[in-house]
Amino acid sequence: MKIKYNSEMVIGVLLTIASGILFARIPIEIKTLEQTMVNAQTVPRIALGGLSLFSFILFLQGVFLIPKKVIVFDQAFKESRGFKDTIRALIYIGILIIYTMVFRYLGFIVSSIYLIFAILIYYGARKKSYYAIALSVSAGVYLVFTFVLNISLP
Amino acid sequence: MELVLSGLNILLNWQLLLAIPLGMILGIIVGAIPGLTSDLGIILMIPLTYTLEPTVAILALVSIYVGGTYGGSITAILINTPGTSANAATLFDGYPMAQKGEAYKALSMALYASTIGGLIGAFVLLFLAPPIAKVTLMFGPAEYLSLAVFGLSVIAGVSNENIFKGLIGACIGIFVSTIGLDVISGTVRFTFGNIQLRRGIDLIIALIGLFAISEILMKAKYNPKTDRTVVDGSSITKMKITKEEYKRCRKPITIGTIIGIIIGATPGTGGGLAAFIAYNQVKQSSSHPETFGKGEIEGVAVSESANNAACGGTMIPMLTLGVPGDGATAILMGAFMVHGLVPGPMLFKEQGSILYAIMLGAIIVNISLWVFGKFFTRFYAHITRIPFELLACIVLTFCAAGAYSTNNNIYDVYYIFIFGILAYYLRLMRFQMVPILLGIVLGPLAEMNFRRALILSDGSYLIFITRPISLAFLLIAFGSVATFTVKEFLHQRKERTQQT
Repeated sequence: MKIKYNSEMVIGVLLTIASGILFARIPIEIKTLEQTMVNAQTVPRIALGGLSLFSFILFLQGVFLIPKKVIVFDQAFKESRGFKDTIRALIYIGILIIYTMVFRYLGFIVSSIYLIFAILIYYGARKKSYYAIALSVSAGVYLVFTFVLNISLP
Repeated sequence: MELVLSGLNILLNWQLLLAIPLGMILGIIVGAIPGLTSDLGIILMIPLTYTLEPTVAILALVSIYVGGTYGGSITAILINTPGTSANAATLFDGYPMAQKGEAYKALSMALYASTIGGLIGAFVLLFLAPPIAKVTLMFGPAEYLSLAVFGLSVIAGVSNENIFKGLIGACIGIFVSTIGLDVISGTVRFTFGNIQLRRGIDLIIALIGLFAISEILMKAKYNPKTDRTVVDGSSITKMKITKEEYKRCRKPITIGTIIGIIIGATPGTGGGLAAFIAYNQVKQSSSHPETFGKGEIEGVAVSESANNAACGGTMIPMLTLGVPGDGATAILMGAFMVHGLVPGPMLFKEQGSILYAIMLGAIIVNISLWVFGKFFTRFYAHITRIPFELLACIVLTFCAAGAYSTNNNIYDVYYIFIFGILAYYLRLMRFQMVPILLGIVLGPLAEMNFRRALILSDGSYLIFITRPISLAFLLIAFGSVATFTVKEFLHQRKERTQQT
C-alpha cells in the first residue's frame, strides 16, 4: 500500500474534527444561565471556532501548498529506522502510561523504582551505578518532599 | 532622607546575614525544580519567620521570591523546562545555547541579566514606587484586555515557520484555560462530568507536560551507544561571555528591565508576560532577528532581566496601594500582615522606616543573588554531562513529585503525561509549544477583562478603542504583528531569490 501525505494534512484534519465536535458540544458542556450576549460560552466559542478555522486552513495548506512525502508499506519500510523509532516511541509512551497507572496504587517509591528500571533497560543501560544513582535520587526526592517540604507523596 | 537613613539603621542586623542566604538558597532550589515555585517556598518559610524582626522576616521571603525567579532559568537552560512560568521565555535561546555546549555562558548571562534587572527594579521600587503605582491604577478591564492581546502578539514572533500553527497553539491554550469553573458566572465548563476537572488545569502542570515530558519523549530515539557526546568537565566552564557579548546585551537588558518593571507593576500580570513581551520587542528591533530562538545570548539576557525586574515591579502596587502584583506578592502581603504591617498608603506614613529598610534590603538581596549565583553556576553547568538515560529518570521522578505536590492530587500527575504525550506529537509536526503556553497564561486575563469591559460598556466594543492606554496597546500589538509579517515575507522572498 502506498500513501501520499504531509503532517499538515494529518494534524489539520484531526484538529478540525476534534474542535468541531467540541464546538458542537458547547451548549451541553457549558450550561449557563447568563442572558447577556457575552457569557461563559463566548470565549470557548472563539477559541474552538478559531481552532476549527485555522486547522482547516492548515489542512488546505497541506493539500495544495506543502510538498507531500510518499510512504510505501512494505518490508523495507518495516525495517527502516523511522518505523523502528516510531515503535520505540510508542514503547516509551507505554512505559509512562503504566507509571501513571501504578503511581496511584503502589505509591511514589515503588512506582519510581519501576520507572527507573524500565527507562534504564529501555536505553540499554548496564552500569549498576546508574541504577544506584537514580534510585538514590528518587529516595532523596521522597524524603525531601515528605520531611522538608511537608508534602506527603502517595 | 531621614526615613532612608533610619531604614539603613534597621538593616544593620546580624540576623540578615543568615536570613538572606537561607532564603536565597531555598528560592533557587524551589525555582529550579519544575512544579515547585517561589510561592511554595515563601509559604514554607513564613512559619519559620514568626520570631524574627519584621524586616529580617520579609527580606528572607523576598530572597526566596528573587532566588526562585532566577532559579527557574537553570532548568529552562539545561533541560528545556522552565522551573517557573516566569522563565518560559528563557528557554527560547537558553536551551539551544546549552545544546551548542554553551550552557555555562547561558547560565552566566541569565545570572548577570537577572541581577541587573533585579537591582534596577529594586532601585525603582525605592525611588519611583508612588508615581508608577498611580499610572497602573488607571488600568481598567479594557486596558487589561489590550495588554493580554499585546502579549498574544508574541505568537507572530515565535511562529516563524507557519503562523497558522502558532494560532492553532494559542487557540488550544485558550481552550485549556477555559476548562473548569468560570470565575464570573460560576458555570462549569468542559468538565465532561469529571469533578476533578472543576478546578481547571494549573499553569505549572501544563508547563511540566508541554516542556519537560515532551522533551523526554522527543529523546525516545536516543541511543546511548551512538548519540552520546562525552563532554570534558574542564571544558564546560571555559566558554565565557566575551566583552563583545556583554556590550551587545546592554540594549536587551535595558529594554527587558524597563518592560519588566512596567508590566510587573501592573497587578495581575507578572514576570512571565513581561519576559515574553520584552523578548518580542528585542527580537523585532534586532538587526539579526533570525538568530533568535537558535541560541542567541541576547534572548537569554532580555528574558531574564525582564522577569527579575518584574519582581521589584510587582512589589510597587503591593507596597503603595495594597494590591499584589502577582501570586508571590499576594503571599508576601499575607506575611506583611502576619508581622503587623498592612501594605498600602498608610504603611508609608506609619511604618516608613521599616518600609524603607525593606526596599533598601531588596537591593542587598539582588546583590546576594549575584554572589550565590556566581558560586553555584559552575556546578549547575555540569548537569549537561549527566548521561541522558540517567537524567530522564531523575527528571521524570521530579516532575511526578512536583506535579502531585501542586494540589496533592493524583490527577495532576495524569495531566502532565497527557499534556506531554500530546505536546510530543505536536512537536513532531513542528508546532511550537510557546503559543499554547501563552494561550494558557493570557486566556484567563483576556477573558475576564473582555467580559468585564463589555459589562461596563453595556456591550459596546468601542470601549477598547476609546480609552487611550487600551488603544495604544492594541496599536502596538497590531504594529508588532504587521512588522513581523512584512519582515518574514521579505526574508522569504530574499531567500527564494537567492535560491533561483
